Amino acid sequence: MSLERPDEHDHDAWMERKELSPIEEVYLTVLIWLDRRLRLVDYLELLEDMYYKTNLQMPKSHTEQYDLDNKFWYWYPLYALGSFSTIAYVVASISGALLGFYYAPSTQAVGGETLRSVAYSNVLFIMGDLNFGLFLRSLHRWSAQVMTAAVFLHMLRVYFTGAYKEPRELNWIIGIVLISLTMVFGYTGYLLPWSQLSYWAGQIGVEMALSIPLIGDWVAQLIFGGFTLGEATLQRMYILHVFVLPFVVTGLIAVHIGIVWMQGIAEPH
Amino acid sequence: MTYEYFERSRREDEDLRQASDYVERDVLAFPTWPHEMIRNLALTSFFLGLMFFISAAVPPHIPGPANANSTPAVILPDWYLYWSFGLLKLPPLNPELTLLGGEKLVSDRVFGVVANLVVVGVIATVPFLNKGSARRPVEEPFWAAIGVGGVVFAFTIAVLSVKNLVAETFPLGPHELFDLTFFLPLVSVFLAYAVLKTMREGYMFELNRRYYRLRPPK
Ligand code: HEM
Repeated sequence: MSLERPDEHDHDAWMERKELSPIEEVYLTVLIWLDRRLRLVDYLELLEDMYYKTNLQMPKSHTEQYDLDNKFWYWYPLYALGSFSTIAYVVASISGALLGFYYAPSTQAVGGETLRSVAYSNVLFIMGDLNFGLFLRSLHRWSAQVMTAAVFLHMLRVYFTGAYKEPRELNWIIGIVLISLTMVFGYTGYLLPWSQLSYWAGQIGVEMALSIPLIGDWVAQLIFGGFTLGEATLQRMYILHVFVLPFVVTGLIAVHIGIVWMQGIAEPH
Repeated sequence: MTYEYFERSRREDEDLRQASDYVERDVLAFPTWPHEMIRNLALTSFFLGLMFFISAAVPPHIPGPANANSTPAVILPDWYLYWSFGLLKLPPLNPELTLLGGEKLVSDRVFGVVANLVVVGVIATVPFLNKGSARRPVEEPFWAAIGVGGVVFAFTIAVLSVKNLVAETFPLGPHELFDLTFFLPLVSVFLAYAVLKTMREGYMFELNRRYYRLRPPK
């Protein structure tokens, strides 16, 4: 009996012992060669880990746990409203990005006797001349409105199912921020066509900002670019609508849904 | 310190798990994946189709170009901001202090803006006001009734914001409308409370006995 321990890491000797077919031999040789250099094992382990994480035996659902005999909870379908909000948001983003190709936020008059600004005539072009433009704008508006409605109803479902209670307070607060930002999204977008309604809705906005105690002037400057509406207002609304808000809201939605993923859906009963 | 805490919290989990005969899981939740997601996938596909259909069927229109010199008769935001717009029209509620000779402490406009902030703030604090393990409206008729009142108020205040339009279609004076804005939510609060209280008795422990034996509502 040899006192020498067999070398655990002698892969060649291991291969000798196994009596491999030529194909297996080539395969293993390549694998070992790559693994020596790239440490593939680690990545394999990672994949394996992921596989088992997603394919774990799921814990029993509530219905099974409490033996509800398919007495599905009566509000169950309303649990899809959060997903509806997300989908509507995605649709609005895509259609919005496409609209952005044909729009410029300028209040400059296009010339002639008309009151039409560049922004306004861009929208007219989208609606009148662009292929599928009318549908695109329609889709953007509808998805925005549907999103707002879905978010509101989602909030109601969370309220009436008591889903905001511990440990989900944080998500409720993120939700409040989200619904507010959704409305700001809508408002800034409403101003972009620079139509009569856009203009006067903007007017009300400036007045609201100005009437905030102490910091009113500053807020009006920051958000509306001045105390009266003009080029600066439209450009700020544009940047808010297509640059600032998309990043902030997308990030928050990701966090919001991430938290739901971590915590699971509040148990209905 | 961070690690020390994590150690502690891990030990706590461990102990809880050992003490519990409730083996399946220790979280009061059901899994987002796949239970929730798979079902939502089906529902949302349908929803997506619906959205495209509406967009195709009901295209938007656009009002005339901006004109700083002519104020339109009706200025309105999109419908989902009506509630906020309605809150701006609340100045009649702004308390006048007799001490200051009928002067208002804050101007009407400030009052309107503050009302907006108050509404959002109150909603944000709900999880810290209402605690406990109860979930169904029947378990907490009071909170459910508050919720119903809130929804109805969101609606009536939105209607108040378009009072010009309402006055044209319904035989309501501005005063009646204003009173209704606050009266209707109150009525619905009481109605909801009464209905839920009545339902509570027979219904609550009937449906799901085992659940309540494990976790009696606080
Ligand atoms: C952009 C807006 C929002 C999006 C995209 C969104 C998305 C979602 C999704 C996908 C879920 C998973 C459960 C479900 O679908 O019902 C969820 C859960 C939740 N949402 Fe939202 N949400 C939004 C706004 C809000 C608002 C306004 C609130 C409340 C003020 C809120 C509070 C919550 C809470 C507390 C949960 C956890 C509920 C549970 O575990 O049952 N969310 N959200």
